[in-house]
Amino acid sequence: MKGIAHFISGATVASFCPWAVEAAQNGNPAFFILGAAAGILPDTLDFKFYRFFYRYDVSVYPDPEKLDPQPVADAVAAAVSEAAATGGPVRVKLSTIKLSADNWRQYRVRIDPDAGEVRAQFGPVVSTGQAPQPGTLPASRPAAVAKFSAPVRQSYEPVYTVDIFDGPGFLFKRNGAGEVEIDFLPWHRSWSHSFTVASLLAGLASLWTWEAGLVVFGAYAAHIIEDQMGYMGTNLFFPFTKKRTAGLKLMHSGDAFPNFTCVWLCGLLIFWNIYAAIPEPLYHFSFMRFMTYALIIPFAVFGAVRRFLVRAGNGRPESGAVKWDI
Amino acid sequence: MIFTAVAAVLAGTVLACFLSILPGLHIYNVMGLAALFLYSLQGSGVAAMPEVYIPFMLGLVTGWSVLNTIPSVLLGAPDESAVFTVLPGQKYLMTGRGYEGTMMIGAGSLAGLFILVFLIGPFAPKFLPIVRYVLTPHMHWILWVIILFMLMTEWPKNGNWGPAGWRKFFAAWSTLGAGLLTFFLSGLLGFLLLYRPPVSVDNAFQNIMPAFVGLFAVPWCLLNAVSGTEVPKQYIRDTLNINGDLLLRSGIAGGIGGGFAAFLPVVTGGIGGLLAGHATAQRDERVFMMSQGVSKVVYYVGALMLFFVPGLYLTRGGGAWIIKGLYTPHTRGDYCLALGSIALSGAVSFLLLSPLTRWTLKLMGKVDYRHISVFSLGIIVALVFSITGRPGLFIMTVSTGIGLIPVLFGSRRLNCLGVLLLPIACNMSGIGEPVAAFLGLL
Repeated sequence: MKGIAHFISGATVASFCPWAVEAAQNGNPAFFILGAAAGILPDTLDFKFYRFFYRYDVSVYPDPEKLDPQPVADAVAAAVSEAAATGGPVRVKLSTIKLSADNWRQYRVRIDPDAGEVRAQFGPVVSTGQAPQPGTLPASRPAAVAKFSAPVRQSYEPVYTVDIFDGPGFLFKRNGAGEVEIDFLPWHRSWSHSFTVASLLAGLASLWTWEAGLVVFGAYAAHIIEDQMGYMGTNLFFPFTKKRTAGLKLMHSGDAFPNFTCVWLCGLLIFWNIYAAIPEPLYHFSFMRFMTYALIIPFAVFGAVRRFLVRAGNGRPESGAVKWDI
Repeated sequence: MIFTAVAAVLAGTVLACFLSILPGLHIYNVMGLAALFLYSLQGSGVAAMPEVYIPFMLGLVTGWSVLNTIPSVLLGAPDESAVFTVLPGQKYLMTGRGYEGTMMIGAGSLAGLFILVFLIGPFAPKFLPIVRYVLTPHMHWILWVIILFMLMTEWPKNGNWGPAGWRKFFAAWSTLGAGLLTFFLSGLLGFLLLYRPPVSVDNAFQNIMPAFVGLFAVPWCLLNAVSGTEVPKQYIRDTLNINGDLLLRSGIAGGIGGGFAAFLPVVTGGIGGLLAGHATAQRDERVFMMSQGVSKVVYYVGALMLFFVPGLYLTRGGGAWIIKGLYTPHTRGDYCLALGSIALSGAVSFLLLSPLTRWTLKLMGKVDYRHISVFSLGIIVALVFSITGRPGLFIMTVSTGIGLIPVLFGSRRLNCLGVLLLPIACNMSGIGEPVAAFLGLL
């Protein structure tokens, strides 16, 4: 999920702790700050610290002037073959192509185990918001193909998009069954996204109070559980487990609707929890009534209006989709 | 009476047309001057009717919040609430589509006005007093959590290439560190302005103005003046590439962000826009731009509207505080007057957006972009000096130094809001005075 969803989830966990709400009512924000920080901390550790120290064996830097996808496909296929031959691990990084402050050249790579090949193709220039810029597709967009001869096991999706900031990395390694396993973003959701680290940090926070420890553990664990809803999964009990446990594949981390729903729901739960902690409230309403007014009716109205607007348009939500041939 | 109110709204809106084109001039400063004028009238025994000056001020704020899109996109000089529209807006400008970009944000502003008048307006008296009742004791931690979010979600823009190691780490943290530095320096400045205000007591309500001008407006003008940017020929399109679905998504994103900012103390439209962008995870550039238009209007106009909501009468934002010194609303009639003024002014301002944008583009075709930036800078400096004198100029200069850090290092400019967020959050948590004492300000 997006950072804000994890962040507010952490604050929500704190709101379920009576001592946190009581402290907040008395002017002490510490438990909510701890909860929110612990909620986003696993990604902070990965994206702002660990990834800069993760070493790759091969880094692919496509030439922005000569958009040739063949070296990209060749490098990935060679890494798969090398991992199959040597047992691996082989770490490959596909670098992004920055054109200006807010423009990046997008490209995609598909690793197709059935066909035994890697395909790559360049796409449009995209903004940092990953929005394709009109009229920026290359005049000629050949799809490069490179073969490998090894059984491959995908743990993520077969197509990888490279566009903004830091490009994706892969770890190719042969498993006991002789298959080459693809570990997408090997530095992400590994040790940092584990209940073990959650316990460790909770222990540190417990040096202050056990209540703080509980808030930190709950918020950190909420992050791990939310990420487990996606595709990539997390390494739940590092170092006792060596690999990520596959996710439930219910959503993609960047999907707008689940992220927004999570943020909205968390906001409502926080509101309810602090309302419920008021000793003799001036206003009275039940949880069901509150959720009906604040969640069910607005979402139903949104769904109906959006359905109407999409139908009134061309029957499909508009997207700036680019056609890919890989 | 109704015709007087209509005339007052229109007068406020028309005045806002001219004021909004001037980069760096905030409408709250103009309202402050208007309030001073009203006080002087009262002092000389002439009583101005609230049915005149309230619609007038609502017209000022509504008109300005819709029309200040023009300097944000075309002149690259936004106020704090429009800070996120600059990058995509400038991209539109540099591809000859400045008019389209401006009108797109304007469409978002219109959606924001619709949300305020027709969606929030009827329900606000029933629900918002409850929300206020529940949240009031918790505002302090909400503010701290927002600060934390701002600081923890700054994305490292460098360190994406090259071998792994400390060099890569430090390259990445140059932007993050600059962001943190900006926030804490701004926060220190905020403490200074709060506990040792250099501006005279007579102009106390303008105390923060030179700081905001220095943090946000001056760096833009300087950057534009030295960048050597040549604005290409601009094209006027009759239609915008948007539809109802995009407008709906923008409305929800911006409405929530702007509404959040309008309701919470110190949280500004820029923060509302940031939260909206994150919460709704919208990647479409058009949705993003329109949502910023929604957020800006819902923040500025909504904050003022909340002051008139029966049973709530919430004072948020400089506009509400200025009006509070003159008049306290107490009837449903006041609320209806406010809603009507917003609707009328919003409609007129939106209709004026297109001709004003065309006029500005025509001006830009004749006058060098850099000259406009230098001219804007001159106006800003003159305004600051005329309102706050030499101390104000000094604050503006110091603030400009801080405001240039994110420009030079590519970090988030919103961190400059530490000037408000840090001292106010400390005060709300009861640690403001100890911190000020530690800093030697007491």
